[in-house]
This record gives sequence, structure tokens and C-alpha cells, in this order.
Amino acid sequence: MREIFVVGLSHHGTPIEIRERLSVATGSAAEEVRGLLESAPLAESVLLSTCNRVELYAASDEPIHASRAVRQYLESRADDAALGQYLYEHTGEDAVRHAFRVASSLDSMVVGEPQILGQVKSAYQAAESAGGLGTLLGRCFTRAFAVAKRVRTETEVAAGTVSISSIAIELAGKIFGDLSGRRAMLLGAGEMGEAAAKSLVGRGVRLVVVNRSPERAETLAKSLGAEAAPYEQLTTELTKADVVITSTASARFVITKSLMKDVMKARKRRPLFLIDIAVPRDIDPRAGDLGNVFLYDVDDLSEVAGVNLAARKRAADQAEGIVRAETENFEQWRRSLALSPTIKGLRERFLSIARAELERTLPRLDVSKHDQEILDAMVNAIVNKLLHRPMTELKHGANAPDAAHLIDATRRLFDLEERRSLPPPAPGNEGREGAQTDTPAIGELAAVSSGSRGENR
Amino acid sequence: MLVTGLFLATGVLYTVACALYLAFMARGSENIGRWAGRSLIGAAVFHVAFLGADWAIAGNPPIGDIHRTLSLASLLSIVAYLAAGTRLRIAVLGGFITPVALLFLFGSALGRSVNHVPYEVRSVLLPVHISVNVLGVVAFTLAFAAALAYLIQEGLLRRKKLGGLFQRLPALDVLDSLGFRLVTIGFPLLTLGIITGALWAVRLDPTAPVFTTTQGFAILAWLVFAGVLLLRVAAGWRGRRAAIGTMVGYAFATAVLVGYMVNSTGAAAG
Repeated sequence: MREIFVVGLSHHGTPIEIRERLSVATGSAAEEVRGLLESAPLAESVLLSTCNRVELYAASDEPIHASRAVRQYLESRADDAALGQYLYEHTGEDAVRHAFRVASSLDSMVVGEPQILGQVKSAYQAAESAGGLGTLLGRCFTRAFAVAKRVRTETEVAAGTVSISSIAIELAGKIFGDLSGRRAMLLGAGEMGEAAAKSLVGRGVRLVVVNRSPERAETLAKSLGAEAAPYEQLTTELTKADVVITSTASARFVITKSLMKDVMKARKRRPLFLIDIAVPRDIDPRAGDLGNVFLYDVDDLSEVAGVNLAARKRAADQAEGIVRAETENFEQWRRSLALSPTIKGLRERFLSIARAELERTLPRLDVSKHDQEILDAMVNAIVNKLLHRPMTELKHGANAPDAAHLIDATRRLFDLEERRSLPPPAPGNEGREGAQTDTPAIGELAAVSSGSRGENR
Repeated sequence: MLVTGLFLATGVLYTVACALYLAFMARGSENIGRWAGRSLIGAAVFHVAFLGADWAIAGNPPIGDIHRTLSLASLLSIVAYLAAGTRLRIAVLGGFITPVALLFLFGSALGRSVNHVPYEVRSVLLPVHISVNVLGVVAFTLAFAAALAYLIQEGLLRRKKLGGLFQRLPALDVLDSLGFRLVTIGFPLLTLGIITGALWAVRLDPTAPVFTTTQGFAILAWLVFAGVLLLRVAAGWRGRRAAIGTMVGYAFATAVLVGYMVNSTGAAAG
């Protein structure tokens, strides 16, 4: 049976250099998906690539085999055999929950930022045009959009971040008065930073994009109507700018207090507005103690936006609750998908045994055609009566939390699994191979079990 | 009687305007702001009437003595603020300027001394000296208000207390360049005032001591303002430092006024 899984990496623990090597240009996502569907044993596939994450969602009938192929694909893309250490993988219910969390911006660098939903939608469209969407991923992603909408409308998660850009603009106006003709610098490529920079450009501010990767700086500058400057000119650009927005993924401070001290001297202490949208922060908070330096980080801005930290925490918990409930709904739907083949299989198994026995017995008897039909009807009635209780139980139990176990038990008790050849064992998968003798068709069992493989063993 | 009545009416209206401006600063109701402006205009009208009546009765213009000069300076500060305020949208600065003008007005009521200048030393120097100083005081009073507003606004921004007052105060850059422009206007006036004052002192009494405390404060004020301007152009001292410098300079400049008043009151009493 088909199973959803996701393999990918994100700003949680993967340095930007690695992410950059993997990232896929917006236009070529469909192409990549098409290639993957041909080369790997994937039935469905969606490729999500943003500045902060590269993730491949897939549904496959041979998940172990498929996940190995996806990992190989990512490694070859990054041209890095050591990529594996950064990759995470979620399967089944966990993968669905992950998709829901990503789309609702709960997994974003700045929780609640609005850009990610659009990015997930374009990934979905690219997959659709490449024929990468089927029953499972198609439903998973349309549900993800609905979950994102619920999180947006029912919780305050987005309340602070929607206005971060506008708060930044307002504060800049309170420092500099008229903003037109002022100079701003965008350092790093986070989604929120981009949004804030964009709104500054809208106010007639001249924008310079600085990035460790010159290509990225160039692309970003072009999309924002700005200039690009090499990373080596960071100090010079800091000296020239009035507003600086930082949203890099650096784990350490990119702008230290001593750097700021030199910069302020060089710029003859002209006021400087620093907006640090990065998490973890890019600018040493002590730099804000310097004269004429006004430093605001995400928490400051959110607080200004009227959403205090406790409220944000509460909103995030609420959002996680929505995601949990929606993931459960999705699983229920998936279990119902698993149920009908089980019911069908059970009936067929009983009937085939009964018919086989009947067929074996009939030649030894001398019965008329009419009597044969009576026997046939009797066998059918026996099967139906025998199956009545299990069928009702299965149908009613499909929505219970232990439905997977029930289905699993039914399939094992009545030997409903198809005996098909298993994929060649993956290195390090010996344990799984050993398990094959007792539990055939790992894929099917894992699919109906909730989540991680091997849980039922 | 008429003069006293006009003075009292002026004082009451200034006090009302002052209270309304402070309330406007704290609460931000547009209505309060409008009434503050109206009462301030009323106060200025009564102030003009008061000075006019006083001039008519005393027979000499209100620059004859330090007290009436102070009164004139406060009136001109208010007029300058009202004129600039509508254009620059700095209504909230009324909360800083009206209290200063009110203090000046009360100060002007503390004494009265008409120095009869001996006929043989009369010259154009004295009216020039007093006029430039009055205008200088007006410029520095407004600069002081801008500097104070800057420091408050900067503090709010730094402590991230972005409430109503922050919303109503003008942008830092507006306050900074306004303060700079006003100091640029006030500084040459102060310079001219000091030179004419020194010349006048020598003309009045060539044997008088060259350096009095009052003059010392004037020199200090001059040095501070010179520093504010020079460091701003040369070393980029702006924002907070410039604002503090402006306020220190203003403190010395008002010390000169207080010095004059103490001296003249003493002279009148003696």
C-alpha cells in the first residue's frame, strides 16, 4: 500500500551553504519532479524549495526503496556524499503533520511569516503540471492549505508578523522622517527580510542587497528592484545605509558591537536603524547601546505590533492543536482508504476458499445443476454469516484510534497480504529483512500503521 | 489698572494653553490640541495688547529694561512657534515651548527697572544689542524645545516604548535638523549680541571690570553653541549629543538672562 514520506533539510540545523547548493530555481521544480518520477520508484512527488528549506514529499508503494532513491537524488544534486547527516525523514502521519506545519508557517524561521504558504502553493502547482500529484499527496497538500488558512484565521500566530514590515516602515519614518532617497541594505535572504525590504523600496528607498553568495544577491536584487553588492563590502554598505535589515541563517553574530562602533565612527554618527529579523539573531544586541543606533529584533517588532511573547506562545500552541486535529482527520481518511481493500480482500479470501472446497467436493457427488445452485447459495450464506460480525466491526472500527491495528490484525489473521517480491535489502536494513518472514509486505503494513515503520512488529 | 488686567489675562491664557498642550502631549486628543492652539493665539493677542499698553503708558519701547525685554522675547518665541508650527506640523512642541514662555512672562513680572541711559552715551548700539539678543533667545528657545523633544523621542525609541507620545512627537530627523537650523540662526545673533554688549559696556563705563559673571555665562553659551555647530559639521555630532549640547548652551544663555535680572533688580532696589 502507498505511503507518504518526506526527505529534506531546513534552516533547523543545516547551514545556508548546503541549502543553497540544493535549492531549486522556481521555474525548474516541475522539471525536477518529472525527472524524479521517471528515475525513482515514486508514485507521487512534490518538491518544495525555499531559501530556508529543500524538501521532497513523495508517495510510494515501495517506501524504503523510494526513500533511498530520493536521498541519492539529493546527494547528487548537492554533489555531497556527506549530505545525509543533514537530512531528516518523516513517514506516514509524521510526514503529513510536517507538511501541515510547514504550510502554516509553524516550522518557519520566523513563525507566522506569510510567504511560505505561497511557496508551498507554487510547489504544488509545479508538481501538478509534472504529473506528480495523486490521491495521497494531492489530498495532503490541499488539506495543508486549509490547515494554513485555519491557523491564519483562528489563531494570532500571524498577527505579529503580518505587521512586522509595516512596523519597520513606521519606525523608519519616525527616525528619518521622509524615507524617499534614503538608503537601505538587506543582508541575508530570509523571507521576512525580503518582505520588509520590498515595502521599503515601495517608499522610494534605494535598496542594496548583500549576500555571501553573489549569485543569490544578484537574483534577489533583481527581483526587488535593487542593486547587489559583494559581501566584502559589508562594512562600506553599513556605513552608507540608513536602514539595515538582516535575516541571515548564521549561527553567530554577523554584526558585532565592535564592527558597529567602527561603522558609526565612519558614518559620522548618522543615525542607523537596524532591523534584525533573523533567528538566531544576526546583530549583537549590545550594538544597540551605541549612540544613534536603533536596533530592533523580531521579538521587539512583534511586541510593538501588539502581540506579546506570551500571546505568541499561546497562539503557537493553539496552532499546533489545529495541526494535530487535522493530521488525525487526514489519517482517518487514509485508514478508510486502507479499509475497503481489506473488506474486499477478506470477502474474496473466504469466498475463494469456500468455492475451492466446493469445487473439490462436487465431482465426488452426484448432484443436479439445481442442487449445485442450492449448495452455492448455502456456501455464500455461510460466508456472509461468518463475515457479518467482522465486517461490521471493521467498518465501525475504522475511525477508532486502533483501527490500524484492527486492519493489520485482520490482514494477518486471514493472510490477506499479496506475496510479492520485496526490494533488495538496503545497506543497514538487515533487521528489516529479517522481519520479512513473519510480516510480509512491509510497505502495506507500515502504511496502515500510524507512522514509523516497524511499529507493529 | 488696564496694564495689570491685560498682564493677568495673558498669564491666565498662557497657563491654560500650557496645560492643554501638556494634556495633548499625554493624551493626544485632536480636540485638546486645537483648543491649546486657540488659547495660545489668544494669549499672544493679549500679550501684544499688554506690551502695547505698557509702551504707551511708559513712553518707551519694551526693550528699555530686562524685564520687558524678557516679556517681548517670550511673545516672539510663541509667535515664531505658531508661525512655524502650522507649517512643520510640530504642534506637540507647544508642550515644551509654552512652559518656557510662561516662565519668561512670570520672570518679567518680578521687577521693573527703567535704566535711564545718560544722554551723552546714547547710541544705536544698545537697541541693536537688545534686539539681536531677543531674537537669539527666541531661536534658542525653539531649539531647546526641539532638543528636548529629540531626547524624549530618542529615549522612547531606544527603550521601545512606542506609545501615544512617541506617535505624536515628530520624527527624530525632523527634530534634529530643526534644532540645527535654529542654532545656526541663533548663533550669529548671539555672537553679535556679545560683541555689541562688550562695546556698549566699554562705552558706558570704560573703567568697568572686563569680565562679569553674566558675561562669563554669555561666553560659555557662545562656546557651547560654537561647539555644537563645529562638531556637527566636522565630527558629525548629531542626534543625541547635539541635542544635549543645545540644551546645555540654552541653560547658559538663560543664566545670562537671570544674571541680568538679578543685577537690574538689585540696581533698582539699590
